[in-house]
Amino acid sequence: MDVADAILAARARRAYETGRLGSAASRALPLLPLACLPILCCPDPARSIACGVALVAVVTCCLWRGEALRRGVRPGLIAGGVPLMIPVVAQATGHLCGIGRCLIDPTICIVAGVAGGIALGVFAPRPREAHGIPLVTASLIAGLTGSVGCWMYGLVGVAGMVVGLLAGAAPVLAVRRARG
Amino acid sequence: MERLADGDRSAFHPVFELLWPPLRRFAARHLGPGEADDIAQEALLRVFRRAAEFDPSRSALAWALGIAAYEIRTARRKRQRRREEAAPAGTLATARDQKPTPEETAMQDDMESMLRESLGALRPEDAETLRLYSRGERAHVAAATFRKRVERALTRLRAAWGTDGRR
Repeated sequence: MDVADAILAARARRAYETGRLGSAASRALPLLPLACLPILCCPDPARSIACGVALVAVVTCCLWRGEALRRGVRPGLIAGGVPLMIPVVAQATGHLCGIGRCLIDPTICIVAGVAGGIALGVFAPRPREAHGIPLVTASLIAGLTGSVGCWMYGLVGVAGMVVGLLAGAAPVLAVRRARG
Repeated sequence: MERLADGDRSAFHPVFELLWPPLRRFAARHLGPGEADDIAQEALLRVFRRAAEFDPSRSALAWALGIAAYEIRTARRKRQRRREEAAPAGTLATARDQKPTPEETAMQDDMESMLRESLGALRPEDAETLRLYSRGERAHVAAATFRKRVERALTRLRAAWGTDGRR
């Protein structure tokens, strides 16, 4: 490869990276309205929105890098959608407790987490695939997506959702592994 | 290309080395030597910029050549536009610099009268379009629309000229 071709290759590489980043951002941006859902039903949505912005950033990064990271995005979003929606629906339909003041809120988050965990176990890539990177990515994205809904109930809500996710996903993944 | 679309960076150099020569040849076949390399580079950069959108069910080379063909068309259109913009000024300069001989004047008069007759045979909109075009002006329409009207009017003018049997 001569010098002119090497310079052209460097430019092409930059074009490739910027093109991928633009494409990833355009696919991740539609998640922003989801991240803004808590504004509709939460008196203090700042932390939920911060989680939503982090979710968009992580999804953009995963889609940009591609390969194993990309394969975890869709299952993560599907699994995280459950613990995102259940607290939002619960809050919107009239159960308006203050942050962490009653027992129903963490219970909602745990139940939503378990449901999301089962979805994660069903849809996530196999744990051994690509050294487990897609599964880790899917879990991270599911956790972040769920946090957007569960932050409305504070740290207790998020912790409950994470415990629920693990409790829901572990048995399903174990069954999938046992079946080969 | 499929691996590159999935994000496998190790596929970059093989794809670059496979795509660059055919794109260069393709551009050289359709454009002049000075312009071909620039357009081939533009096409190559566009191919890599859009690599993430590549559909694995399609042929990678056909896809890349399609992008190159689009770049070539765009370059040709730009060149034509530049020529159109430069033409009136160039014509005036030539007219100022050179005085026509009596023979040339007579030939020009003949040509003008023939042209006037042919213009008379055209539809009034076409004749008006050509008149504006010859003065370097444009009707109150988009540049692309006007260009198309000029092309259409010129085609009709050529047809009218040809059917007269004078050319």
